[in-house]
Amino acid sequence: MLNVSFWVLFFPLLGFIILGLLGRLLPRGGILTVAWGACGLSFLFAVINFISLLGTPANARVADTVIYHWVSSGNFSLDFALLYDPLTAVMLLVITGVGFLIHIYSAGYMADDPGFWRFFTYMNFFIFAMTLLVTADNFLFLLVGWGLVGLASFLLIGFWYQRPSAVAAARKAFVINVIGDFGLMLAIFLIFNHFGTLSYQGVFGQLNSSMAGSGLLTAICLLLFVACAAKSAQLPLYMWLPDAMEGPTPVSALIHAATMVTAGVYLVARANPLFYMAPIALYTVGAIGGITAIFAAVIAIFQLDIKRVLAYSTISQLGYMFMAEGVTNFAGGIFHLVTHAFFKALLFLGAGAVIHALAGEQDMRKMGGLWQRMPITAWTFLAATLAISGIIPFAGFWSKDSILASVLAQATISGNAWFYILWAVGVLTAGLTAFYMFRLFFGIFFGSYRGGPQASAEHEEEDEEDEVAAGHHERMPRYNQIFEVPAVMSVPLIILGVLSVIGGFIGSLALIGLPQWHPLPALLAPVVGQSSVSAIVEPSLGLEWISTGISLVLAAIGILLAWRMYGKGFEYKENRNPLYQFAFHKFYVDEALTAVLVNPIMAFGRAATRFLEGDTLDAGSRGIATTFRGVSAGLRRLQTGYVRNYALAILVGAVLIVIYYAVRR
Amino acid sequence: MPSPTSLMPLSAYLIVSAVLFTIGVVGVLVRRNPLIIFMSIELMLNAVNLSFVALSTFLDSADGQMFVFLVLTVAAAEVVVGLAIIVSIFRTRRTIDVDDMNVLRG
Repeated sequence: MLNVSFWVLFFPLLGFIILGLLGRLLPRGGILTVAWGACGLSFLFAVINFISLLGTPANARVADTVIYHWVSSGNFSLDFALLYDPLTAVMLLVITGVGFLIHIYSAGYMADDPGFWRFFTYMNFFIFAMTLLVTADNFLFLLVGWGLVGLASFLLIGFWYQRPSAVAAARKAFVINVIGDFGLMLAIFLIFNHFGTLSYQGVFGQLNSSMAGSGLLTAICLLLFVACAAKSAQLPLYMWLPDAMEGPTPVSALIHAATMVTAGVYLVARANPLFYMAPIALYTVGAIGGITAIFAAVIAIFQLDIKRVLAYSTISQLGYMFMAEGVTNFAGGIFHLVTHAFFKALLFLGAGAVIHALAGEQDMRKMGGLWQRMPITAWTFLAATLAISGIIPFAGFWSKDSILASVLAQATISGNAWFYILWAVGVLTAGLTAFYMFRLFFGIFFGSYRGGPQASAEHEEEDEEDEVAAGHHERMPRYNQIFEVPAVMSVPLIILGVLSVIGGFIGSLALIGLPQWHPLPALLAPVVGQSSVSAIVEPSLGLEWISTGISLVLAAIGILLAWRMYGKGFEYKENRNPLYQFAFHKFYVDEALTAVLVNPIMAFGRAATRFLEGDTLDAGSRGIATTFRGVSAGLRRLQTGYVRNYALAILVGAVLIVIYYAVRR
Repeated sequence: MPSPTSLMPLSAYLIVSAVLFTIGVVGVLVRRNPLIIFMSIELMLNAVNLSFVALSTFLDSADGQMFVFLVLTVAAAEVVVGLAIIVSIFRTRRTIDVDDMNVLRG
C-alpha cells in the first residue's frame, strides 16, 4: 500500500518555514499561495493515500514507513517512522480537509489584520504538528507532536498579544497542556520500563490476556488519559478551552474541530489495546466523559458570548466521544469526532462571519434578526445547529445515536446500573444541547436587531480597556449596514454545511433498515477491534430505537423550549436566583481554582523569588563579590603609578635575592 | 691572582664598578627628569660592563667581553626606543616629569 504520509507532513512544514522566514516580505497573494498551497497539497496527498488504502484488502491496511533511524542503542532502537492505517487515514482527512477550509476562510476573516503573515505561519505550523501527532508510529514522536500542538495553540491563542487577556489565556492553555504532557511522559516512561520499546506495534504485540486488569496497565492508561483530558478539555482540565476564545475565530474553529481537542480522542482510540486490558481506566474514561458532557452543557445554557457557548458545547461533545470510548465503542468516538469536526468548524466559522459582520461584537444581547441580512450564514448555521442537536438525518444524529446506543447496549449486557446512569446523562445532555444551541441560533438570527452604534457606545463604556486593547473594534454597524460575508468566507461555510447534512451517512444505517451499510466502523474495525462494530450492529434494533427515540424526543423538547423562550428574539433578563448565578458564573470553577491553586503557587513563587533567590542565592554571590572588592581596594594602593616606586621595589627585590644567596651559602 | 700585565688588583675594578652602579641606582630613584634617569641607567649598565671586563681579564676568558658587546648593543637599542617614547610623551603632554606620568595608578 502506498504511504505518502511524509508529503502530508512535509508541505505544511515547508509552508511554515517559508512563511516564517519570508512572510514579512511577501505580498498578500504570495502568503495565501504558500499557505493555501501547503495545506491544499497536504490534503491532496491525504486523499491520494486514502484512495490507495481503499484499494487494499481490509486485512493489509497498514503501512509503516521508516523515514530515518533516530536512536539505535543496544537492543533499543527508535525510528522516526510514519504509520498509515485506517485510523490515521480518517484523522488526516479531517485535519487537512477541515484545516484547508479554515485556511481559505481565514483569508477573508484576517484580511485587515497587520499580522496576516504571522497568522498563516502559525496555522501551517499547527497543521504540521497535528499531522505529526497522528502519523507517528511510536509514543515518543506522538509526544513530540503532542508538545508541538500545545505550542501552536499557545501561539495562536495569544495571537493578539497586545491584549493582556489573550496573553493570559494563551499562558493558561499552555500550562494546562503541560500538565497533560507530563502525564503522557510518565505513561511513556512506564511503557518503556515495562515493554522495552515505544512503537505501537511493539507494545501492543506484547500484550496478552494474563496482563488484563493489572495495576501497571491501569496506571499507564490513566496517565494517558490525563494527557487526553488536558488536550481534549475534559474535567478537570477543561478550563483552558473557553479562554482559548481569545484567539481569532478561525483559530477557535481549527482548535475545536480539526486539531488539538481531537488529539485526546485519537490517543484513546490509538491505544485501545491497552485500554481493553484496563477496565478500570475505561470506566474512568466513560465516567469523566459523561460528567464533562452534562457539566459543560449546563454552563453553555447560561453563556452570553456566542463563542463561549460554542466552546462549552465542544467540551460537552468531546465528553460524548469519551463516553463512547469508555464503552469500547472506539469507532463511535472517532465517528462523532468526524461529524463534530464538520459541524463545529461550521458553527465557529459561522459565528466568525457574524462577528466579522458586526465589527467584532460577540455578545448575543446585541445581535438578533440577522437572518435577512446574512442568509447564507444563517442557513449553514441552521444546518450545523440541527446537526449538533442530533436531529435526523443530520450528521450529528448518526454519531450521537451510535454512542448512546452503544452505552445502552453495554448497560443491558453488563447489567451495571452505572451504565444506565451514563446513558441517561448522555440522553439528557442531548436535550440540553438542542436547547442551548437553538437559544444561540434564535439569539443571533431571530427577532429584531438589538445592536447598532448606540449599543456599541454603551458597550465601550462598560469595558473600555478591552476595547482599546483590542484595537480592531469599531462601532457596531446599523442594521442596514450589515452585509453577508464575501465568497472566500461563504464558500467554506457552504461546503461544511453540506458535510454537516450528509456527513453522518458514513456511519451505520442499521437504524433505517440498511444493516449492510456501515463504511466508517468497518474501515476502523482492523484498528479498534471488532467489538465496536458489533456494539452498533448487533444490539437489537428495538434497543437502539428506544435510545434514539428518547434522545430525539428530548432534543425536540429542547428546541421547542428554546422556541418558546427565545423564538421572538433573545431577551436577557437579569436573574438573581442563586442557582442561576451559580451556573451563569460557570460554577465558579475559575475563581475557586484561582483561590485554591493559582494564588498559593504565585505567592510561593514570589516568596521564593524574595527569600530563596534574593536572600540566599543572590546574597551569597554578592558576598563573594564584596569580599574581592575589599581585598582589591587594599591591594591597588600598591600601584602608585610612580616609576621610582617600582624601581625601588625592583631594587629591594634584587637585594633580597642577593642576601638570600649570600646567607644560604 | 692578578694577571702579570695588570698593575692594579681586581678588587679595585670591582669597587669602582660597585660605586658606579650605586650612583646609577640612586640617580634612577631620585631624579625626575627622564633624560637623567636614562643616563643613570647607562651608568649602571657600564658599571656592570666594567666588572665583566675586569673579571674576564682576571679569569683569562673572553666570555665576559662577549657579554659586554651584547650589553652595548642592547643599550644602544634601548636608548633609541626610550628617547622616541620620551619625545612622543612630550608631544602629547607638554611635560616629561616622571612624577606626572602616573596614569597607571591603581
